[in-house]
Amino acid sequence: MSATSPTSTPTSTPTSTLRRTIDISQDQPVPFGRLVAVETRKVFDTRAGRWFSIAIVGLVLVVTGFAALLFPEDQQTYVELLGLSGGVLTYFLPVLMILLVTSEWSQRTGLATFTLEPRRSRVIAAKVVCGLGLSVAGLALGALIAAGGTLLSTVDGGEAVWTLGWEPVQSFLLTALIGVLVAFALAMLVRSSPAAIVGYFLYTFVLPAVAATVAALVDGFDAVVPWIELNTAQTPLISGDYRATGEEWAQLGTAALIWLVVPFALGLWRLLRAEVK
Amino acid sequence: MIEVNGLTRTYGAFTAVDDVTFTCEPGRVTGFLGPNGAGKSTTMRVMVGLTPPTRGSVTIGGHRYEDIPNPGRHVGVLLDAGAQHAGRTGREVLEIGARTMGLPKDRVDEMLAMVSLTDSEAGRRMGNYSLGMKQRLGIAHALLGDPEVLVLDEPANGLDPAGIRWMRDLLKGYARRGGTVLLSSHLLHEVELVADEMILIGRGRIVAQGDKATLLAGQGAAATQVTAEDNDALAGALTSAGHDVTPDGAGLRVTATPAEVSRTAMDARLVLTDLRAAGAGLEDLFLSLTSDTQREAAPAASPAPTQDGAAA
Repeated sequence: MSATSPTSTPTSTPTSTLRRTIDISQDQPVPFGRLVAVETRKVFDTRAGRWFSIAIVGLVLVVTGFAALLFPEDQQTYVELLGLSGGVLTYFLPVLMILLVTSEWSQRTGLATFTLEPRRSRVIAAKVVCGLGLSVAGLALGALIAAGGTLLSTVDGGEAVWTLGWEPVQSFLLTALIGVLVAFALAMLVRSSPAAIVGYFLYTFVLPAVAATVAALVDGFDAVVPWIELNTAQTPLISGDYRATGEEWAQLGTAALIWLVVPFALGLWRLLRAEVK
Repeated sequence: MIEVNGLTRTYGAFTAVDDVTFTCEPGRVTGFLGPNGAGKSTTMRVMVGLTPPTRGSVTIGGHRYEDIPNPGRHVGVLLDAGAQHAGRTGREVLEIGARTMGLPKDRVDEMLAMVSLTDSEAGRRMGNYSLGMKQRLGIAHALLGDPEVLVLDEPANGLDPAGIRWMRDLLKGYARRGGTVLLSSHLLHEVELVADEMILIGRGRIVAQGDKATLLAGQGAAATQVTAEDNDALAGALTSAGHDVTPDGAGLRVTATPAEVSRTAMDARLVLTDLRAAGAGLEDLFLSLTSDTQREAAPAASPAPTQDGAAA
């Protein structure tokens, strides 16, 4: 208390007997499902969010339609078109995932979000569930569009080829979800939309190229790359027979530890302590 | 009931909030007053768990904010009316809050009507809102869950005079029904009409607290606001009587009691058109107290251009 205070000291309460003037004994926490529903709603209830979603679907439609009409016959099978539509989605779903986190800071909506649910880990968990759910829904929609493309590909002759094993579906899904989770981890780490998006594309485009260049220059480094670089480690899942061997799973494990698990843990730790302004 | 106990928040070497202790009682409006950057917003962010304190604690109704299961139902918070997604409509902002708290759907319409936002205004995006509309929406958001405690940071900012009066009545009524209100402002006149209790903060430290009468008691030097038909003549007479005279609006401000001023005017046969006690108002108290805290950091002898900055 300052010496200039013209007042007596305030009527303070003894700290030993905390007066509980708000009764919370009957209160229920905000149900987790409600948090997920609210987070999902927030993805689509802004003009930017709505157009971003429409643009993604539109792009998948255009690219798939283009391939179905103009690509050579052997690139118009369901598997090929699935890879194509899934490929477009794996560029954009991570961005959607990033915005789930960073918009709370860039648009400052975090002030409301984290005062209505001050247990931030619950909000983050809701965002992860929401983001993974939207990613799976997006990929399912992509698969549907690819199926449409396969049917469409028959208009200039040829047949619709549907042969599709379980492995590629599983592997596509896994790689897509790894991608969005890496993006989410990055978003929690930097909490800035442009920084997280640039960071993610550096990770997914530049990093494998750098790794490959170093591997070409340094003897023996090519054997190390799949253990420490997550994109390279995922190659067995998206090529050949879409299956990873035991050693390749181990490589995925170590690379994911470096690029997914550690950044995610660090990002979460930072976010739970960050100041929301 | 809000209890702030020994709260300190530092940023590196800078202490934004320095050992702050105060209590906001139910049924009363507590004004939290200080110049910009005095630590009001930081204190309020700590209250609701957005900023971790360096030391000390805050409880609301006896609980840490983080321990209240569905805090929107007990504590209404408005920290920055502009902190909303520019692409979201006003109605949607309330809708999200209502859904999170689990409120019935018509609660949003109720709140919109209460803050007099029309359907078409509520359907506009936040990016097209004026500051006054954002404040109204922010108040609606804070009141959504029918809370017992309100924490409002600069809620009158951007409101027109009618809006300020509306909010004053709203907060008074809210406190009369037993609610606890803490509202901050850097403008004294916004607070002094509504607050039962005032807390003055400068440079992160509380410099004074109490109700208006207590704060003004002992603020010695009398002052008088006076207007005469011939101000110049009166000023001359008062000056030669040994009083300090400064022009103020249409009249003069004199460091003397109204009786002394009246006597001087009578002796000089001057006609007064207005005479009232100006006292050392809260404004002067506020400025003197907050500039005191600045002198603690800078020697009074040195030229201090920062003082003007603080007064502005």
